[in-house]
Amino acid sequence: MGTASADPTAGPNLVQEMADIKRMVVAMESHMEVLKSTVRAQNEIIERQNYRIEVFEKKQTSLPIQAAAMPQTPSPAKTLMQGGFNPDIGVVGTTQGKLTQNKADIDGNNTIVLKELEVNFAGAVDPYSRLDATLALNDNLEDQNIDIEEAYYTRWGLPLGFTTQLGKFRAMIGKENLMHAHQLQTADYPLVIQNFFGEEGLSSSGARLKNSIPNPWDLPLEFTGEILRGNNGESFSGISRRPIFNTHLKSFFEPSQDTNLELGWTTLFGDENPPRTILVDDGTGVMVEEEYTPAEGQDRYGVKVFGGDATFNWFLPEGKRVMSQSEIYFQNRTGRVYDNNAPWGFYSLVEYRFSPKFSTGARFDYLNPLDVAGRQGTTSISPYFIFWQSEFADVKLQYSHTVYAGGEKTDNAAFFVVDFMIGAHKHVVQ
Amino acid sequence: MAKKILIPSLVVSSFALLFCHVLFAADKLNVVATTTTLANIASEIGQYKIRVASIASPKQNIHHYAPTPKDVLKVKKADVLIHEGLDLEAWRQPLLDAAGNSRFFGDGKYSIDVSRGIPLLEIPTSLSRSEGDIHAFGNPHYIGDPENAKIIASNIAEGLTNVDPENAAFYRKNAASFNERLDTKIKDWEARMAAFQGAPVVTYHRSWSYFVKRFGLVVIGEVEPKPGIPPTAKHLAALIQQIKNKNAKVIIKEYFEENRTPKKIAEETGIRIVNLSQAVGEPENAKDYLSLVEQDISLLEEALGTQKGRVS
Repeated sequence: MGTASADPTAGPNLVQEMADIKRMVVAMESHMEVLKSTVRAQNEIIERQNYRIEVFEKKQTSLPIQAAAMPQTPSPAKTLMQGGFNPDIGVVGTTQGKLTQNKADIDGNNTIVLKELEVNFAGAVDPYSRLDATLALNDNLEDQNIDIEEAYYTRWGLPLGFTTQLGKFRAMIGKENLMHAHQLQTADYPLVIQNFFGEEGLSSSGARLKNSIPNPWDLPLEFTGEILRGNNGESFSGISRRPIFNTHLKSFFEPSQDTNLELGWTTLFGDENPPRTILVDDGTGVMVEEEYTPAEGQDRYGVKVFGGDATFNWFLPEGKRVMSQSEIYFQNRTGRVYDNNAPWGFYSLVEYRFSPKFSTGARFDYLNPLDVAGRQGTTSISPYFIFWQSEFADVKLQYSHTVYAGGEKTDNAAFFVVDFMIGAHKHVVQ
Repeated sequence: MAKKILIPSLVVSSFALLFCHVLFAADKLNVVATTTTLANIASEIGQYKIRVASIASPKQNIHHYAPTPKDVLKVKKADVLIHEGLDLEAWRQPLLDAAGNSRFFGDGKYSIDVSRGIPLLEIPTSLSRSEGDIHAFGNPHYIGDPENAKIIASNIAEGLTNVDPENAAFYRKNAASFNERLDTKIKDWEARMAAFQGAPVVTYHRSWSYFVKRFGLVVIGEVEPKPGIPPTAKHLAALIQQIKNKNAKVIIKEYFEENRTPKKIAEETGIRIVNLSQAVGEPENAKDYLSLVEQDISLLEEALGTQKGRVS
């Protein structure tokens, strides 16, 4: 009583302290449980290690010569000394056999060639950035060379969550332009990509800035802006005066647990650069190269390319999958270099992966090309078949029937492509 | 003209982004787990103090999953990443690169590797792709052993504690409670599987090594000739002979693996095919880790039980 009267708050304080102590005991008990389970796990590891040591020692006594010849697991320190800081290295090869009827094919008609040997290097530069590089070695008949297919530095963590990439990279145009040849479902790039951006798409030096756009619906909305070197790809070839500006907006939906849909929109602005030289008739019917200077100079951003892409995936039981992908591109040009002021084209591809080993599909192409004025279009249908030998090797068989603009020429081509890879190889998340 | 439009557009866009970042800022710890199973265990431990999302679909092969733009967004927004470590999720690094969330680079405290302390099986003595899609650090399918789930739970509790020390007691208490429930269930599962000790089984992929070891089954062969390599006719002929010789009872496969080859084997040998899963949500009624393993055990019990007469 005396104590209570001396300190009227002692009672409630005591209760509070008791409650705190109880909470601490509960927390300590739970911590003890966690520690116990950790100790149990560690004991299991020790037991296993002891058993391994026993087995190893027995092997050493019974088979001294073999044991000495066995490769030793390097210690972490040794691993670092021997190149733990080396980048990840991978090699991807693509061999292509092709039977064609087209006499204009610069590779020749019935050929087999090591189409490409890609050497990839990748690794962290520091805690904020990384470097990815792909060198492509080509076995072209008269022009064996090494191309820098991609070599770009990525810096994350810029203000507002922006990421930048600098160097040379495959431009963010639709879907297939981002892919290396061995990643394609088909043996070649779609006609519209080849005609507008080059045989293997548009890979260019430049700078890229990308970010996700936050929104109340939690919808993936990714925006990419690129400034690319001005003379690049078929549509922008020639003498550069200004860079190409490219923007890409991408969104993604999951209509159900087994399906997803990705939609994208691309806009490119660039100059219609006149070629350094043009071919002219010398009066005797022989075409000769001649320096060319346009009378009116270049128009600012005389080439505008607009494109849409859609990719739909339907995942079926047992690892089967149906995939459909389409891209469409329109151009608005000043018509200084090519005859066609408004070329356009699209492709549509459907693929069915019906077992771990096999896929089959078909691609339809339509192209109103850069160099053909009017509404004449090239159409092509390409059924194909893929044998997935493993995750690291595949074989593609493709037949393409093409009717060129005007309908006068047709071509039948058969492709046999083998892709193979060794070492570290990871594909960029698109 | 272009400058007149470009500069104001950039300024307006930057302010809009800043506004949205503030407006949609999270009030709970945003946790992203690479699998549905890890997401479930994390939610048992973090409960209402965390918001959990998962990446890989339970219906797809974890090795071959292709991350989507939605996954990139989840990782970008996350405070904590929980993953299975080793090289199970080969797509993890490209996903982290795409998301660019610097918290998860390296071995920082925001990246919880739940494989720490797990006694690994099948650590290769040499590395060559001639051995198929082998795993450099050992078999990464350790989640098949429920004893390992206890280590995973403890790792998650410690990981969350490192990020959010104020709630350390809460996370540890929930981990202890989860492990206690798991202990009770493991005793039950082991008792039910005791009748099938030493039963020879076949697995499709080498993803059940930890599970069969825990419950005393013996794997006599795999449908895949080597990890990740599709079956060949020659390998199947040898496997069928092996099944007949050793009187194997069941083929254990996951739902996403093809049925055609196991059916062919079953037609020739009479072996039963059992679809099991290590991913919460596949099948849909496996809503948490405990019910997932319960379902696996029940299916196996039924398959092995109906053939009890054939056990040698």
